[in-house]
Amino acid sequence: MKFWKLIPVVLLFFLFACKKNLTINLDNRTVAEGYYDSPQKFEQAAVGGYVDLRRALVANYAFLMYGEARTGDLAVATDYQPAVVSQKLTSDNRYVKQLTDWEYFYDVIHDANDLLDNINKADNSILNGYKRNLYKGEALALKSYAYFYMARIWGDIASAETNNFGKHLTNQEAVTLASGFASEAKRLLPWRLLNDSEIESAALTNIRFSKTSVTSLLAHEELWLGKAQDAYTLLTNTFTTATTDSLSDFGISMGVDRRTDIPQKPLDAGVVSMTIDSLNAIYPAGDSRRAGMFNISSDGKTATMIVADATILPLITKRELNLLFAEAAWRSGNLNAAKTYLIRAATGAKEDYSTLTDATFANALLKERRRMLVGTGQRVFDLIRLGKVSTYIPAFTDADVQKGAAYWPLSANSLKGSSLSQNSYWLSKK
Amino acid sequence: MFLFVATYGAAMSVSAQEKVVVDSVVSANRAGVENILQGNVAGLRVKSWSGTPGTQSILNLRGLSLDPTDKSTMPLILINGVPMIASPSDVTGINPLSYYTTDQIERIEVIKDIDRLAAFGVQAPNGAINIIMKEGKSGAIHISANAYAGANFQQNMDSKADAFYNFNTGARRQVYGNGGIVDEQNLMVDGNGDYGSYLFGLSNYQDKGYIKGTSSGRQSLFLNAKYNITKGFSAQFYNNFALANRDGRYAGEYSRDLTLPVTGDEGFVMDKKRNVDLISSMKLAYQFNPSFKISSVASISYDASSRDYYIPSNLLDGNIHAFSATIKRQLVALNTSLNYLHRFNDYLNLDMTIGNEIRGNDDRITSVDGQRSLESGGSDFVKVVTGYNANQTYAYSDHEMEKIVSFYGIWKWNYKKDLDVNMVLRTDGSSFYQNKWALYPALGVHYDLNNALNFPVKANIAYGKTGILSKPEVYRGQIGAYGDYYGNTQLGVGLLYPAFQDAKSVSVYQLDAGLTFNILPSLLDISVNYFNKIYKNFTYQRYLSNISGMDYQYETGGSLGLAGVEFSLDGRWFNNRDFGWSTSFNIASYKNKVRSLPSDIQSTSLAYLGALSNGDAVTSITAYQGGQSKIIGNSEAKAFGGISNTFRYKKLSASFTASYAWGADVATESFTSTYYADLVGNSFPIKNAETPYYFTTTDATGRVTYQGMRTIENASFIRLNKAAITYHFGPILKRLASINDLQLFLRGDNLFTLTNYSGVNPEENITGIRKRDLSLTGTPLPSSLVLGLKLVL
Repeated sequence: MKFWKLIPVVLLFFLFACKKNLTINLDNRTVAEGYYDSPQKFEQAAVGGYVDLRRALVANYAFLMYGEARTGDLAVATDYQPAVVSQKLTSDNRYVKQLTDWEYFYDVIHDANDLLDNINKADNSILNGYKRNLYKGEALALKSYAYFYMARIWGDIASAETNNFGKHLTNQEAVTLASGFASEAKRLLPWRLLNDSEIESAALTNIRFSKTSVTSLLAHEELWLGKAQDAYTLLTNTFTTATTDSLSDFGISMGVDRRTDIPQKPLDAGVVSMTIDSLNAIYPAGDSRRAGMFNISSDGKTATMIVADATILPLITKRELNLLFAEAAWRSGNLNAAKTYLIRAATGAKEDYSTLTDATFANALLKERRRMLVGTGQRVFDLIRLGKVSTYIPAFTDADVQKGAAYWPLSANSLKGSSLSQNSYWLSKK
Repeated sequence: MFLFVATYGAAMSVSAQEKVVVDSVVSANRAGVENILQGNVAGLRVKSWSGTPGTQSILNLRGLSLDPTDKSTMPLILINGVPMIASPSDVTGINPLSYYTTDQIERIEVIKDIDRLAAFGVQAPNGAINIIMKEGKSGAIHISANAYAGANFQQNMDSKADAFYNFNTGARRQVYGNGGIVDEQNLMVDGNGDYGSYLFGLSNYQDKGYIKGTSSGRQSLFLNAKYNITKGFSAQFYNNFALANRDGRYAGEYSRDLTLPVTGDEGFVMDKKRNVDLISSMKLAYQFNPSFKISSVASISYDASSRDYYIPSNLLDGNIHAFSATIKRQLVALNTSLNYLHRFNDYLNLDMTIGNEIRGNDDRITSVDGQRSLESGGSDFVKVVTGYNANQTYAYSDHEMEKIVSFYGIWKWNYKKDLDVNMVLRTDGSSFYQNKWALYPALGVHYDLNNALNFPVKANIAYGKTGILSKPEVYRGQIGAYGDYYGNTQLGVGLLYPAFQDAKSVSVYQLDAGLTFNILPSLLDISVNYFNKIYKNFTYQRYLSNISGMDYQYETGGSLGLAGVEFSLDGRWFNNRDFGWSTSFNIASYKNKVRSLPSDIQSTSLAYLGALSNGDAVTSITAYQGGQSKIIGNSEAKAFGGISNTFRYKKLSASFTASYAWGADVATESFTSTYYADLVGNSFPIKNAETPYYFTTTDATGRVTYQGMRTIENASFIRLNKAAITYHFGPILKRLASINDLQLFLRGDNLFTLTNYSGVNPEENITGIRKRDLSLTGTPLPSSLVLGLKLVL
């Protein structure tokens, strides 16, 4: 009966069936479980957040439509800008409808929350201190930026945080939430990012959040919340003479999005322009900056922006810092300091800002922000923050603005199943 | 004479339609084992949806799916009891069931009852078909050869009544035409003795079909050998190695709608599909004593499909398109079992099998797809594609693996030869599951009333459970790469959706009940079977609010029902020396229904079922009428089946098999009623001649199109599927060549179809909708006639 010896072999077959045997580690799949096992993958996830932010801001020239294209400062050669500039934001045009949808911004927040979850799960052998802080800081900054952007577009928004998912956040609550994230990010982010060779890279820092940009963001959020003194303290404590060489711009790197066709050159002269009348009104003759900022067409009728680097769309620039200092100082009662910062910021302007008073400072600041930040999409937000919407958007009365006209209406998809409702101004326009 | 009786006797074993002895039924000229079964098995629907040679017909054996276009109703296909990769690959679409010649198959067992199916667990929610290959017959050596040749043709190409291509018959005549050759040559050698048995052979098959300028073929080598190592220890080896090919064309095949009356020059078109397939199994069995046996079967099924494709610029309006794709699929299985027979007393016996099965699937795909416009000054017929760069070429690769580990036990109790009780318990562990194991039990009772009632009737009843695995992505979640960043050097990656923690298989509960009458044991068998299947817990997508950052998450729910009655009759009316006549008839009537659907279905991936209520057929065709969605038909037949007759008069025999289905509806889209909704004021119909029904589609820009319907037709039919006349010369030239039998036959496929359907083939629409562009509609199904000779030495 030597074949009885086969029995152990047979039993071996039976013992194959253990749970471990049923676990497959796929070599080249992008599956959700267990994917984040190297710093490179975390970096790709962080970049995924920027890619989503790019889609939110650049698809349909959204950053301009929410900004200078809505006020008419800039013309964007699309068939939907006329609806936007005439404030027909409940138009049936599908691009306008997309602009009233906040989904793309919430994608950024989801990316950030997902990245934070995965960072918390990763042990130190996968992520070391610098990278852990960097990615965590970037996730928080992205989240803060997305919430802040939405609060400025729509006023009240919904929370996408796990502890109160879907909760109605008033504008104040939303920006307070955003500033909390920015504040934490500021602590974590470096002044300069390191490249793969672990050398500080200005090019990399220009397209990812750093301490400079997240501090600007936080100051901006505090100004929006009316905490000018906090903003001023933050700015003066963070940006000192010792940090001057560490400053950097922040913009979005252009590239292909596989889901949505986004403009590759969002400020391209073929699409974005300014009438010569607007140019002359905004930058009067004698302003030495306009030649460096605009090209005038051969027929002399339009001006187009000079784009120094078409691969980057600037969002938070170093040149805005003095403007933020000026605003923070002015609103916290330091008019003289504010004037100094404004004059420093507005080098090349022909106006004499040394004679500004509390009453005239707002207009001067607004004027310089309009000039210096053209093409970064902040014009409408500035008007809202400084209470000047009905002055510069004549379609709206003060009563309209009270009812919520300065904010955008919400798309049907954004309202569906939401705790929010359309504000009374846009409800009346349906 | 012996042979006639032997052939005839085999025909009798088609009893109850559970087993088809292949030599006893009319073979088909079309390749594919399913074509032999068509019309011969109660409850097995074989839909000949396409005339393209090498295409797999749709097989459905008590199967039901939520999605009418997917393959999830395919039964489990086994070769000598081992699983094979049986579904065509997406790359070539060549039918793996065409790798075998009819001549090498002994019989095909069709397994429908739950107390047998549960032993296959999650693999066999839709029944199983076990193809048993021939073994060597007793004697030192036998040689048999079979060869036939003939042509494909089409009978019902009436250009005046041709609604198929919008009456644009000019292009159709250029694409389709009579005369495509079909031929096969087989040679087999076999023998059997104390050492065991052997059978080996080779086969060559070609079918040029009905589409001009195309061809397809298959060559195979096979071996089935059994070796008795010792008295109780035996080894069996089975191998089938096949190469299959199909060369396609552009107009009428890749591009189906034939909008222009003339087709372009296809001299430079390349569409080469090539499959390499191997199935190999090794079985070791040891009989310790008369009641104790152990056996182990290891098997490999491997299928590599590749396609190389090039379309020149003259056909693509200045563009050229090339792609190459390969998918390699492998399935390795090891099944070890212990069998023990125990006799408790004179009345009670137990036949017990416990076993372990390990299955591993491993599929890889790689493809490169490129397109570019013609360079200025280039020729319309540039064949060599140069100058591709990364922006114009898409490369893709994917890898899918699955492991299943199973334990099973089968306990067959037999009491007094009258009562059989089958108990089955199987547990499947899948690498897909989070909670690894699922349990599939079944219990069946079979009672022969002949002794008790003195009436030749057997009754059976069984109840049990199987399951359907969801697609792998459901269990795993998915990460997506969204876009380039930082000068295209970095890739942004994000979560598409997380792994579905609550993922589970669809549960399928099945009840069987049946009666079999042997009214006169040598004259008439009648069998009636009822089944009722309940499907629960489908996995579907729930669309999320747009603050979620994900489009959807998975959810389980919903329930469907499928019930039916199958009836079969086998009559042997005459059988004497000169004359014989036998008939097999079967009919099945099924009804499927929605038992429950998820709440707020419009926010799920099942929104297309939104017009259905509980009790409606899930295979309903729904369309809009005046803005309201309503049911306008049912794509499934109310009843279907087949009838076969075999006649024999002296040395001449004739057989035919007809299949039929009635009650299925087809909605045919109109070629002219296509409107943008906004341009027609969002109302329909526009013309008096149009039916009031329409489908809607929304394009990428959000614009809605109304597609009107030309007709809603009844696609009932009866078709003479297979018919053959054979002359048996019997033993001839005994001294010279010892020929035992020589047969001359004339055989036809699809010889005529009676139907009112306005298209070419009433079964051609996979979803019951004939789309305007003929997507999901097959090419015309040809008839064929061949003349052949079969030689048995």
